[in-house]
Amino acid sequence: MKLQEKMDAYKKGMRAKAPKEALEIMLRATEAIKHSGMLEKTVKVGDKAPAFSLENTSGDIVSLANLLSKGPLVLAFYRGKW
Amino acid sequence: MAEISPQAVKFNRAMQEEKNLAFEILSDPGNKTAERYGIKYQMPEDLIKVYSQFGLNVPEHNGDDSWTLPLPARLIIDPDGIIRDAEISADYTVRPEPEDTLEKLRVLVDQMNQF
Repeated sequence: MKLQEKMDAYKKGMRAKAPKEALEIMLRATEAIKHSGMLEKTVKVGDKAPAFSLENTSGDIVSLANLLSKGPLVLAFYRGKW
Repeated sequence: MAEISPQAVKFNRAMQEEKNLAFEILSDPGNKTAERYGIKYQMPEDLIKVYSQFGLNVPEHNGDDSWTLPLPARLIIDPDGIIRDAEISADYTVRPEPEDTLEKLRVLVDQMNQF
């Protein structure tokens, strides 16, 4: 199954379970982001990626330069495991 | 492949072990790196209440009480540090297919090998 199909199934399940009022607030929040202008201020294709040095799961500091020394990088930002 | 999350290191470690993930997962306290990428998101008050009702304790997970999150983002960065592809979404339930990302990587590597 495609990832997006799995996510759509998850979303359907959540919509069946969650209170209507909570769902409305969540949908409104998503719409607010779309209309906030925030998406026009993100990094864009062609930009230099901002540098970072962050702690990994072993307690080591890993920088963007470290990661790029191994070749092209797929970088994902993730909210959290809840 | 690397992932950046505002979660405290211990939660990233738990996720890595549980899902058996081979890539780096980096902790971004206070979403400071997300901010530099223009994707730091301040949750509104009503949404904070909903998350709290669901038992999602974002401050405990992230180690700060800012109630900020990164917008979900997937970037492809070339070895010179230039962003070659960006998928950034307002809706965390809309994400690019992993297969499409792999295909884009293949195209990038082919281009790099031509020079």
